[in-house]
Amino acid sequence: MVTLYEGAILALLAGGVFFGIVAAVGLLRLPDLYTRAHGASKTDTLGAGLSLAAAAAALGSGLPTVKVVLLLVFLFITNPTAAHAITRAAADQGIEPWTSEDGGDGE
Amino acid sequence: MSVDESGNGDGDAVDVGEPDRSLYVESPIIMATVRVVAPFVFTFGLFIMFHGANSAGGGFQGGVTVSTVILMLAVAFGVESTRDWVSPERLVALVGVGVSVVLLMGIGTVALGGAFLEYDVVPIYHFTKYGIELFELGIGIIVSGIVTGLFFGLAAGASGEGSADRDPDDREGLL
Repeated sequence: MVTLYEGAILALLAGGVFFGIVAAVGLLRLPDLYTRAHGASKTDTLGAGLSLAAAAAALGSGLPTVKVVLLLVFLFITNPTAAHAITRAAADQGIEPWTSEDGGDGE
Repeated sequence: MSVDESGNGDGDAVDVGEPDRSLYVESPIIMATVRVVAPFVFTFGLFIMFHGANSAGGGFQGGVTVSTVILMLAVAFGVESTRDWVSPERLVALVGVGVSVVLLMGIGTVALGGAFLEYDVVPIYHFTKYGIELFELGIGIIVSGIVTGLFFGLAAGASGEGSADRDPDDREGLL
């Protein structure tokens, strides 16, 4: 029988795994760089964030938890910025965004 | 910034088909993030360097982490302006300081009558720990300087600037 605390950790972990799977599906199925960056960065940030939150909750109070929370904070800052930098560089290089006219019927 | 310089300097040399040769265009989001994150990354690199004395970590990992700060600055503010700020002479001097520190730690103990890197002979309390930390700091300075130099060399090759504009005898840009 899991306690409420363990149940919360499991729920956080399950959410992290779910968003990780969503990111993987988006990376594989979406058609071009911009949509892939969109799918991967948003869900990946949340997936890693929820997993790290579960780890922080599981570690309890102490120095490791502080380190995990710091990791969480910097992940939330840097991950969207990296996605922004990649897509911005792609836009500067002149890569056209995918539209439905480019072949919306299957891949 | 660098695009204007190459455009004004030798407009004919720049390929007409690709007017924007620079990989890095200044973005306020990236600049703000780098401003926030860079000091923490630098501190974390130093932490890894000093941590190598008694647990996981060390000069090589810490040096690479510290050099990441320069890479981030170059991504955010442009490679050319960052290279001008961190001049090649300063990088060479930095690597020289690192080599001097490491050699001093090694040969200094020999001069005091011990073996190579035998810190016990130095008459300072707990010098073994401080000695290892200084040694790791020297390694970190060398590694960060060399990684930064390699990055600038790669960036000069990738953007085409600096390698095309520069006359072949000038080797400084390829440091």
